[in-house]
Amino acid sequence: MTVASRSMPLAVRTDDVTKVYGRVRAVDGVSFAVEPSETVGLFGPNGAGKSTLLRMLAGLVRPSSGTITLGGADLVPGDHAVHRAVGVVTHESMLYDDLSARENLRFHADLHGVTDPAARCEAVLDAVNLSGRASQYPSAFSHGLRKRLSLARALLHRPDVLLLDEPYAGLDQRSVADLAAILDGFDDRTVLLTTHDLTRGVSRCDRALVVDRGRRQADVDLGDTSAAAFETTYRRAIGVDDGSNGGEGP
Amino acid sequence: MRSFLAAVLRIVRKDLRIESRSRRVTTTMAMFALLIVLAFAFSFVKTVRNPAVLGRSALWIAFVFGGTLGVTRTATVEADDAALDGILLAPVDRSAIYLGKVTSTSLFVFAVNVSTLGATTVLLGYTPTLRTALALLGVLAVAAVGFAAVGVVVATLTFRAGLDELVLPLLLVPLVVPVLLAGVELTAALATGAPTESWLRLLVIYTAILLLAGVATFDFVVEE
Repeated sequence: MTVASRSMPLAVRTDDVTKVYGRVRAVDGVSFAVEPSETVGLFGPNGAGKSTLLRMLAGLVRPSSGTITLGGADLVPGDHAVHRAVGVVTHESMLYDDLSARENLRFHADLHGVTDPAARCEAVLDAVNLSGRASQYPSAFSHGLRKRLSLARALLHRPDVLLLDEPYAGLDQRSVADLAAILDGFDDRTVLLTTHDLTRGVSRCDRALVVDRGRRQADVDLGDTSAAAFETTYRRAIGVDDGSNGGEGP
Repeated sequence: MRSFLAAVLRIVRKDLRIESRSRRVTTTMAMFALLIVLAFAFSFVKTVRNPAVLGRSALWIAFVFGGTLGVTRTATVEADDAALDGILLAPVDRSAIYLGKVTSTSLFVFAVNVSTLGATTVLLGYTPTLRTALALLGVLAVAAVGFAAVGVVVATLTFRAGLDELVLPLLLVPLVVPVLLAGVELTAALATGAPTESWLRLLVIYTAILLLAGVATFDFVVEE
């Protein structure tokens, strides 16, 4: 079995999902469905609710109302089945600076009950091209290397669904290309990713959901859509169709 | 049950490994505890005639304030780069995560208490008999568990809610007052041979309540 192979991709579905923090509706009645093996991009300006939505899908945030299903089963935060099925990469690496790259992965592999954890850790380190740095500490890593190690952590337990929150953020062009090449090996998974990089997002995703002010504003089948064409749709969806968006990047 | 205990042990082992490398938690706590004992030595050693009174006062003040620093540092390890989220994403009972954190924090607090006890002997002339010292270590061990039981919950809550670190002692200290009170009274009773049963019962029962409350609430504390 290769690093990329796993059991079977799962469908993800949200129905009228809302998350309220005090008076703020971070996510407001969002519904969508992601087919197995589909790659869907969540696009939207900062504060649109993308990350909250992804954290709800990861089981880290409980929705205030609405339901999320994973492979047809209700997603309940803390449910072991959810955590076995989902791999998550966020802005933060979720790594310990005082454990080496290998030790970090081994800790998470053990928590996930991965069979033959030592071999699996070496396999994912190899998959993200970090085998040569396995004994080094993440504190010595660049942002790009930390992101790769974070991806390795997310892949350890062969998740059926990958949730990637801004995977390209803060990376230089070479690191973006490296990460994109690694992700190419996981096209058979159900993937949801958020990104501000419209060009990269359009090239990677089958479909785009535009979210703004906590609401789903558009659902676009990307097919042969060009980045320029999608940008027009995107700007219209977030209410900025005059070529500027009030200083808010996509 | 085996996987539950295995998860607890994995978290403890990870914390001990991190601490053995960084010594961030124990060094901070030990330095602070030592400063308290030194302050007692400079301020009271010539005026207070009874070293037992001085010793137990310094010991328990160092316990509370050193322990508060300790739980803050332990929680910081999990808050940095959202490391706790990584654990929460694993198929592990959240009560196992809580008990793992309580166990490692208790070990850190207890280890520093033992060194503080040594410092009170050297600097304040507090010399309990061997029997009293062993009983006192038992009291410190239970108190450390009680302190960590509530400390882990409050520290995690503080960091996850984005509250200032300074809020932590304000929330924590009132909750550990019964532990402190029982600890001080038990230390005095052990030295004078007074009955210890009622205070010991208070310490053990309150610690058990804190642990059960922590197990019951940790899930809500970590959930956004």
